[in-house]
Amino acid sequence: METFRTLIETLSLLVLPLLIVSFPLYGLLRRVPVYEAFVEGAREGFDVAVRIIPYLVAILFAIGMFRASGAMDFLTELLRPVLSPLRIPPEVLPMAILRPLTGSGSAAVVLDLIRQYGEDSLIVKIAAVMFGSTETTFYVLVVYFGAVNITKTRHAVPAGLIADVAAMLMAIYLVQWLFA
Amino acid sequence: MLNYIWAGLIIFSLVFAAVSDVRDLTRNTYRNGDPLPVTLVFPEGYRPEARHQPVRVRIDPTTYRAFYRTESVPDSAYAGELVQFRTGRELRFAKDVDIPEPLATIRRVTSPRENDLRGTLQALTFVSDSLATAAVLFAPVRFVRLQAITDAAFEFARTAVTLALGLIGLLALWLGLLRIAEAAGLVQHLARWTRPLLRPLFPDVPRDHPAFALITLNLTANMLGLGNAATPLGIKAMEELQKLNPRPDTATNAMVMLLAMNTASVQLVPPVLLMAIMGSAINELILPIILVTLASLVVAIVAAKLLGRLPAYRRTDPMLTTNNDPKQPETDA
Repeated sequence: METFRTLIETLSLLVLPLLIVSFPLYGLLRRVPVYEAFVEGAREGFDVAVRIIPYLVAILFAIGMFRASGAMDFLTELLRPVLSPLRIPPEVLPMAILRPLTGSGSAAVVLDLIRQYGEDSLIVKIAAVMFGSTETTFYVLVVYFGAVNITKTRHAVPAGLIADVAAMLMAIYLVQWLFA
Repeated sequence: MLNYIWAGLIIFSLVFAAVSDVRDLTRNTYRNGDPLPVTLVFPEGYRPEARHQPVRVRIDPTTYRAFYRTESVPDSAYAGELVQFRTGRELRFAKDVDIPEPLATIRRVTSPRENDLRGTLQALTFVSDSLATAAVLFAPVRFVRLQAITDAAFEFARTAVTLALGLIGLLALWLGLLRIAEAAGLVQHLARWTRPLLRPLFPDVPRDHPAFALITLNLTANMLGLGNAATPLGIKAMEELQKLNPRPDTATNAMVMLLAMNTASVQLVPPVLLMAIMGSAINELILPIILVTLASLVVAIVAAKLLGRLPAYRRTDPMLTTNNDPKQPETDA
């Protein structure tokens, strides 16, 4: 486990410098006008960033309103009686709901749980595994599809959410099985 | 689906905000117009002529709980300041002190910039030189939640632009490097190697298409936790898939698959943010994170494949509804 971890960490440290250097080097060897090619490609970066702005504004302001409205507490209270028999601690529900919506918001949930229950608590471990094993689904969706101006997303949202729900449930049961 | 979720977020927020504000109004949570009884202690003695003078505010816990109908308990005393005007006296709690609800909300709403709780003093009666009883009247507080969601909407709209503009540099760097790799033929090489692995997942993408290389790079970057490289690579992969798309406003099955694989977050290294929050406590969680993330990747792939076969999504498949659909011969058109 430890060697595997070191291996992965070393790899992720080395990949970036290698990529950044090897692309231009290889281009030079193949007699590509590297500088011109780079600038031409980089120009697209600006277009892409500007193109995703409307999509990001649309999704983020709605998420911001949802977070500020207090709907989270209401949902937690509402689902509490359903969750307890399933061995799902209600405290991790805000994480499960906020994680697909906002990265910083769900990070705040982890911090909040640490403050309340301490780093070694089961609840914090579950929340951390949930955070680490899922992505901010709607952010990724909006950025990737926004960059190519896709508005009809078909089954992208359901597929992403099904994977999220699966990850949340697995995190809950795996952590309880490993640490409780 | 995104339509409903988006509209749902907005309607939900509005309803919850409105309901909790109406409840606050009917319960009179903030006791608008009713003064809170306090005891004032003047550590240097009361000076009638001084405009500003330090004061310690004592709130009787029992009175407080009965007054605001709350469970929270105030501290034994709060530092503050008495300000005397010609027209009356104002009590200011010290900046940023830790005060219980609902006073904290009243402070946040009525004095957002100074962050000191202020109220008009009434019925100041001296018990001795340095001790007095009084009552404080705070400014009325109404529609806290509705104001909060409006503020959040504006704030997040700004955040969206900051985020997008912050991406410009990274996107430019990666898209520039990729253009070199494309011109040098590197992307095409990589595509040939990784095609056998990815072909079953993306059957609609032609053999040797550069999209395979970009998808590989994107997924690899994701796995190694290189978030700021993964996004530009993923965007570039989307652009390649978009070139194959006959209907540019509708996602193809390949695009949904790529997105599902990205949102399932194939990660061998936990996100930097999580490592920063958890510190060394992260160590024992790395194995569970890898297991869960791998399992959710499998679920994402299966879900994307199976959902794509549902009639509703098949009907909207851009690759099937154009003229190369065998069931709709070109002569029909």
